[in-house]
Amino acid sequence: MSADMNKAQNAALDRSDERVRHNDTLLGAAKASIDRIRSGDLGMLPVALGLIIISTVFSILNPVYLAPNNLVNMLFDCATVGIISLGIVCVLLLGEIDLSVGSMSGLASAMIGVLWVNQGFPVYGAIAIAVVFGAMIGAVYAQLYNRLGMPSFIATLAGLLALLGLQLYILGPTGSINLPYASPLVRFGQILVMPAWLSHGLALLPGLVMIVMGLRMRSRRLAVNLSSSPLSTLITRAAVLTLALEFAAFYLNKGRGVPWMFGLLVALVIILNYALTRTKWGRSVFAVGGNKEAARRSGINVRAIYTSCFMLCSGLAALGGILSAARLASSSQQAGTGDVNLNAIAAAVIGGTSLFGGRGSAYSALLGIIVIQSISNGLTLLNLSSSLRYMITGGVLAIAVIVDSLARQSRASNGRA
Amino acid sequence: MTQERSGLPPKGETILKLTKVSKNFGAVSALTDIDMEVKAGEVVALVGDNGAGKSTLVKILAGVHLPSSGTVEFCGREVAIDSPGTALELGIATVFQDLALCENLDVVANLFLGHEMSPWGLDEVGMEVRAWTLLKELAARIPSVREPIASLSGGQRQTVAIARSLLLNPKIIMLDEPTAALGVAQTAEVLNLIERVRDRGLGVIIISHNMEDVRAVADRIVVLRLGRNNGIFTPDASNQELVAAITGATENAVSRRQERKATESHEKGGLSA
Repeated sequence: MSADMNKAQNAALDRSDERVRHNDTLLGAAKASIDRIRSGDLGMLPVALGLIIISTVFSILNPVYLAPNNLVNMLFDCATVGIISLGIVCVLLLGEIDLSVGSMSGLASAMIGVLWVNQGFPVYGAIAIAVVFGAMIGAVYAQLYNRLGMPSFIATLAGLLALLGLQLYILGPTGSINLPYASPLVRFGQILVMPAWLSHGLALLPGLVMIVMGLRMRSRRLAVNLSSSPLSTLITRAAVLTLALEFAAFYLNKGRGVPWMFGLLVALVIILNYALTRTKWGRSVFAVGGNKEAARRSGINVRAIYTSCFMLCSGLAALGGILSAARLASSSQQAGTGDVNLNAIAAAVIGGTSLFGGRGSAYSALLGIIVIQSISNGLTLLNLSSSLRYMITGGVLAIAVIVDSLARQSRASNGRA
Repeated sequence: MTQERSGLPPKGETILKLTKVSKNFGAVSALTDIDMEVKAGEVVALVGDNGAGKSTLVKILAGVHLPSSGTVEFCGREVAIDSPGTALELGIATVFQDLALCENLDVVANLFLGHEMSPWGLDEVGMEVRAWTLLKELAARIPSVREPIASLSGGQRQTVAIARSLLLNPKIIMLDEPTAALGVAQTAEVLNLIERVRDRGLGVIIISHNMEDVRAVADRIVVLRLGRNNGIFTPDASNQELVAAITGATENAVSRRQERKATESHEKGGLSA
């Protein structure tokens, strides 16, 4: 008995309950992740499986699919909708939705054309105005929700039409404005890639950061008598990540290289991920998405959280729209229409952000858009008509939502929320 | 919990004073002219039947509802508790009946929700240590503070909710039916905990339907009936007096049942004799 007591006192602060199984080895860590997947916490699994299936099928159908330059193109395309999807993640975490991101991106691309090319504003001024205008639209949605209790679904559906109308109005009868090819904005959207040495260097960074942060966290936890994950797990994860990223950089550099625009997307994802996981604001976003009333009673300013998320969503949609104008070198009536909306939402859901709020991460936008863009790119290579492309993308979205629902039910029955 | 609390009023001084507080929901008056006092280092039990207005009163003090009329004085100052944030800032912590926990977040995140350490780069290690220390002091048996709340049992959730209310060093803590979902041992632990909190000089308001629990810890028992004050009792008041005040009649379902039982046993005794 007393030996037992001694053991409990010597154990780390979080290791005194004998009922919990601890996974202190590499094998244990693997076991834990299998347990998590079984209980419905799928993590990156659907994305990984999806990418393997997609790339196998398309490269069989058309060998060009996996060629470095095609992948570089794909990354250029990823960046525009990916940034829109990043905003969608913010509102989905609250359990809300913004259906107007497509129209917002179209309007922003029209604003760039009109303000910059037609009115002669400096390009950065035009970008700033478009992004701020987008954020203001988000603030309007949030006020409609906060003050009038208007469901975001309806408010943004109204916004979808209204913003599209505004886009058509400011573009006027000509309906399209060409952006100058030689301008830095268009070059950024079409040509600019990182030098090879830089892309390799950047690919090393995540692994290094992971190890440095992991070691710091470990020493801090040991100092205050908390258990920490074993070194072997940390080093293995960092090594696998670094190898994968270095190979990706190497492969892309066999083509044109890593697009700066994709770099921008990744940077934004990392910033948002930090904000969501390591700041009070992010914690509050998850709390509001999980249990709004509980969040309110904890003293969280729920209205401010709604406002910030909707503003971020519309602001990022505007930024995505500007980049897609840069990518196409034109502002047109077609910008932001069609499947932009659904692709952005589908990407977030496929990446693992729940439609029901309170679960997800910034990385889901990045992973999801890679999946969506791989499909879209593959279908383009096969020269399929847009009728078929819409049907297939629709099917993929349906599957993603079904997986989300099933995983949610499984989590509920396994007590993981 | 171990560090010295500063700014607590001396024991016996009135912390919270309600004067003629009323609350209407449309045509329904949920509370009418409620007067109540809570002193430092005192446990006040709030009892009453279903619909007596106990939870409404708690929600007013927690800043969830605004009173329709009447004044609330806190530490001698008249205050308007217009949001949950204000209540927490004043030092009124509440454990709601529905616990108000976020099931998707882990224990640490729930404990510190709205009051995270270092908001621009959350101090997860610091928060986890504080969480373990606090839970240890409450003799709580939580297997892991990094599991989402959804995986905890009802009693464990109750413990987390109480621990959370103590984290901010409040002056008053309100517990809405704290023992309703708990087992025998856990109930005793919560009652011990309430006494420990009282001995530190906090005011405690406890709502309960369990007369045994109420009399075990309360220094005063405030009875509400149909939204009005219906007497203040000490714990040595008889069960009958309390039930009479709660139901509003000396002749009530409980007394009738007791009478019947008494007669039955009397008759039985008569037969066997």
